[in-house]
Amino acid sequence: LVDVEKNSLFASSFRGAHSRLTRTITQQRIRALVSAHQDRDMKKRDFCHLWITRINAIIRGVGVSYSYSRLIRNLYNKQLLLNHKILAQIIISNRNCLYMISNEIRK
Amino acid sequence: MAILCASTSTIFSSSERTSFGSLKKTIPSNQSSFLGFFPVAALSKPGSVLPTTLSFSKRDFRVCCQDLSLVPENQRWMFEESEADGPDIWNNTWYPKAKDHINTEKTWYVVDATDKILGRLASTIAVHIRGKNLATYTPSVDMGAFVIVVNAEKVAVSGKKRTQKLYRRHSGRPGGMKVETFNQLQQRIPERIIEHAVRGMLPKGRVSSLVSN
Repeated sequence: LVDVEKNSLFASSFRGAHSRLTRTITQQRIRALVSAHQDRDMKKRDFCHLWITRINAIIRGVGVSYSYSRLIRNLYNKQLLLNHKILAQIIISNRNCLYMISNEIRK
Repeated sequence: MAILCASTSTIFSSSERTSFGSLKKTIPSNQSSFLGFFPVAALSKPGSVLPTTLSFSKRDFRVCCQDLSLVPENQRWMFEESEADGPDIWNNTWYPKAKDHINTEKTWYVVDATDKILGRLASTIAVHIRGKNLATYTPSVDMGAFVIVVNAEKVAVSGKKRTQKLYRRHSGRPGGMKVETFNQLQQRIPERIIEHAVRGMLPKGRVSSLVSN
């Protein structure tokens, strides 16, 4: 593809003038790529948020004033660095495992 | 720590090795990765970092290719057939499908509001409506439960709020603001007090229409 065609192919699904006029196409393409770049990092942040809220939700049910922050403190103390935040998946697949882990950690 | 986890569960599994097929659903798959090191772990002292890294790499191995033919023969019994062929739970974060949040199957809670302090009651109600106490919490989807509040006119407030707390609303036209005290509103429409309190604690935005129905 010629460069100009590549440019307009990128913006071919944009709305209205943003897909038809060359100057606006270059502008909108730049903005789109910038958001993609930023959101790749934000995606990592968003998922981290999600896992943390899910873990927190379950951990608070364990006992009085037991929370996500205490769980993480206990994990680091016991050097269970294995437990990455994505292991909120453990919670939704089998919760007993998480309860066992947290009980072991609290001792 | 991984060893300690394994030690509580290996006893369970080794005694029922013969009927392992029937217990496939109960023994969680990620524990099975710990089980693989049971002969090693029982001999060595627990608390060292080395076994954890081994099991981590094993999990990595499993995550990349859930293909049973690559697993060594003697350890193949640990990998449940259904888990290896099913959806990949270790690489994708769980997201609720449409059938996971249909309205007819949610739980309903009934709360009696007599002599409960307004704000504290409202905050626990809001937590349950939002779904923040569930493992399946998702910010974009209403996973919460329904809450019915009974005896709303008997809700209590501390201090002088009964006569001094003001509820304001504006009709949009100039000079159209109306002010009412807690006392008057409680006599007029008592449900509105609790609704007002809970709605202020729920998220605003696109999700608000889902959650505060």
